[in-house]
Amino acid sequence: MPSFFKKKSSSYNKKTGQEKKKEYSSSPLSAVLEENIEYIKTQTGNSTDIVIRSFKHSPRFNTKSAIVYLKGLTDSQTVQELLIEPLMKSNPAESDPISMEDMIEGYLPLGNMEQIKDWNALFPALMSGHTIIFVDGYSVAISSATEGGEKRAVEEPRTQRAIRGSKEGFTESIETNISLVRRIIQNPSLWTETMTIGRVTKTKVTIMYLKGIARDDIIEELRKRLEKIDIDGVLESGFLEQYIEDQSISAFPTLYHSERPDAVAGNLLEGRFALFVNGTPFVLLGPVVFVQFFQSIEDYTERFYISTALRFLRVLVFFISLIGPATYIAATTFHQEMIPTQLLIAIAAQRESVPFPSFVEALIMEVTFEILREAGIRMPEAIGSAISIVGALVIGQAAVQAGVVSPAMVIIVAITAISSFATPSFSIAISARLLRFLFMISAATFGFFGMILGFIILVVHLCSLRSFGVPYMSPLAPFIPADLNDTFVRGPLWADRKRPAFISGSNNVRQSESTGRPQPEQSSEMVTDQEGDQQ
Amino acid sequence: MKRRIGIFLMVCLQLLLLTGCWSKKELNDLALVSAVGLDLNKQGKYVGTFQFVNPGNVTGSFQGGGGGQGNAVSVYSATGDNIDEISRRMATKVSRNLYYAHANLVVISDKLAKKKGVLPILDAFDRDATFRNTATVVIAHDAKAADLIKTLTAIDKLPANKVIKLLRFSERVWGASLNIMMIDVIKDLTDDGKQPLISGFNLKGSSSTGEKVSNIMQSTPQAAPVVDGLALFKHGKLVGWIDGKKARGAVWTLNKIKKTEININKKGRKEAIALEVIRQNTSISTSVKNRTAQLNVRVETEGNIGETKVPVNLKDPHVIADLEKGFEKQVKSEIKAAIKEAQAKKTDIFGFGDAVHRSQPETWKRISKNWDEDYFAKANVKVKVDVFVRRTGLRNNSFLSGAK
Repeated sequence: MPSFFKKKSSSYNKKTGQEKKKEYSSSPLSAVLEENIEYIKTQTGNSTDIVIRSFKHSPRFNTKSAIVYLKGLTDSQTVQELLIEPLMKSNPAESDPISMEDMIEGYLPLGNMEQIKDWNALFPALMSGHTIIFVDGYSVAISSATEGGEKRAVEEPRTQRAIRGSKEGFTESIETNISLVRRIIQNPSLWTETMTIGRVTKTKVTIMYLKGIARDDIIEELRKRLEKIDIDGVLESGFLEQYIEDQSISAFPTLYHSERPDAVAGNLLEGRFALFVNGTPFVLLGPVVFVQFFQSIEDYTERFYISTALRFLRVLVFFISLIGPATYIAATTFHQEMIPTQLLIAIAAQRESVPFPSFVEALIMEVTFEILREAGIRMPEAIGSAISIVGALVIGQAAVQAGVVSPAMVIIVAITAISSFATPSFSIAISARLLRFLFMISAATFGFFGMILGFIILVVHLCSLRSFGVPYMSPLAPFIPADLNDTFVRGPLWADRKRPAFISGSNNVRQSESTGRPQPEQSSEMVTDQEGDQQ
Repeated sequence: MKRRIGIFLMVCLQLLLLTGCWSKKELNDLALVSAVGLDLNKQGKYVGTFQFVNPGNVTGSFQGGGGGQGNAVSVYSATGDNIDEISRRMATKVSRNLYYAHANLVVISDKLAKKKGVLPILDAFDRDATFRNTATVVIAHDAKAADLIKTLTAIDKLPANKVIKLLRFSERVWGASLNIMMIDVIKDLTDDGKQPLISGFNLKGSSSTGEKVSNIMQSTPQAAPVVDGLALFKHGKLVGWIDGKKARGAVWTLNKIKKTEININKKGRKEAIALEVIRQNTSISTSVKNRTAQLNVRVETEGNIGETKVPVNLKDPHVIADLEKGFEKQVKSEIKAAIKEAQAKKTDIFGFGDAVHRSQPETWKRISKNWDEDYFAKANVKVKVDVFVRRTGLRNNSFLSGAK
């Protein structure tokens, strides 16, 4: 709600950029091997997981060399077979010692290799799992890409399951994640840009977009916003999300996150960008609109009637989780005339023995439920079932029998709880979860009048939101009729000719006009009849 | 900036805290009025009898086994010069706020309706913000309104519900009664071409047994409200009753019959053939010429043969045509009797005046003042009935034709 205050403090992040690059001395490498080794040791505090293996290659000339890598981050087999072995066994009879260039060109059968002359470049390479080769007498080191080590395999996504659709989910490795999307969109226009964010963590962050479909100004804006970030660590994409959002103090998410490669691919095709962060399976997507949070990937694979019905259901579910208890409070404390007589009598009978006003009753139940829910998440899996038993007995039965709450209230809380789980996007469900309490307060204060006030504020707020400049409520407000085909309704795919107007720029034609509605060619006779005629 | 947010939040907080749940009413603080009964006492004051719901006793048992042990309703009464006073005086007896939004029944005693009329009563209900003007109005026929309100009923635990459902059901199935809402009464009272017609209710059995739980513990409750006739009103005052077939004739004329059953005599047996009416349409029209009015009623109805007590050949179209004529005669006589009764009481409960208003607006302006007395009461009545036998049930000829 505080978006009433448009004047933003502009002092935020002004002095970024200057001191950013100034870490580790920018001195060049020494030509003496021992000095280099010593320098690495002092800089890393002699860390035990740094492996420094010194040896002599071209023994005839007594050339001392050393390779340095991090245990666990590198693929030890690669280091063994493709670096150490060729170097040690190279025993040419030629008169000249092997030069650095020879090594790269002739001896080491590894793909990604480069020469490093500066400590500034050396340490990041080392820390990301590269193996560094020093040769005595050269002030240049070879950095070879030998990243490896333990990784989680590609599994079915945990949070966004789909009945029909790919079973692949992102992992914690950024390379794997990018490759998963590349496998779906096999097109050179799929561009990526990688940068490191985090003064200490040096986290790899990759922007991915489809050149020509995504709007260049949005990508430029994203780049700018990412460059401004100067924090010590990025542990999850949620960290970045909070720094690059348009409206950072809203209850509603203005970036979407997904752990499904197919969802990311679909969004890229609509002109959105994807932001991969190393170390998390959640990929950020933007710019997003409100209706997107009610969509699920399998909407597009089912018949469109069914998908539309399901989307309506999700909107209903969102509203229930938002105003379910508030409606109950308003109806039972202010607008008893709205409840059918028989139902009112039934509710009144239950309320007879309850010592609290309905608002307090609702609050107790909602808070209890939130506690149970939070406990359920934190609990070790083995005790998880205990929570459900306690929950069912405590809220469901004992509280009712003790006359602390009415059964109707339990029903309301239960429906609300189920509804908040049925919302497809967790981030929008969690906003509803919080706003529900505000609605309860406004309902307890002014009844439906208060709820309507709350709604007006909510709608105004939603309409004021932007996601990378794209109006959050579009295509509903501003109203774009052409885009309505994929909002709360999901029209047939063949009718969905254009990409969303604000998100993809001028290149917004998704399918050619001739595609149209698929139908068999006009024929007056049935196929079987024709066959009969021929005989 | 921070200060402005602070001030804004403070204002918001004040809005919530200072108003303090404005006009909040918890359910436990409400006395749900389910029915209102109005009588006239000997001093000429109104006696209001209010039926309150005991929610715990209405619904099934779920907490502490309260269900069904006590009375579903409690009844209190108070006396006053007007309805508002009664309502206020009720506070000396009832511990909660009176809540009228679910009062669906108003019972007015015939004595009160005769002496003071319904005009002074209905304004209070109409004016009140919570009272619904869709509440059903009935007249206590030869009974006190209070007694009807007090009587406990079986099956439908809420007596008010029982009365309303009974009325609705009998209107739909038998057709000799009308479920009249308060808004209908008010509409008729303000319409110079139609007078109100309200259903009557009688109390079978004595009121003293009716108000005890023991009444509904028996398989045949000793006291129970029953539908009883239609009350004719004129200028807001009760002027007479019609019941039985005449009442049904009135309902026919009003085009309110949904389903009913007509009997005719045949082959010397009384009420030998029964017709189940399944649909009907009645239209009325009036023409005024030379200071005399002509009332026309046209009924088109369809039905199935419901019962034959004598053997008749139902395969024969001539027989069917003959039966149809008989039914027509029966309906015609009922309608005529009803209109005659209304003419005798000089009250146009059917809306013939409205028909004049529609067809001859200029004439109506002249004659509306003394329509009831000078025109309606002396009018000629012409009734045309068209009965069509649609089906004969599962059988054509009855087994009676083959019985030895």
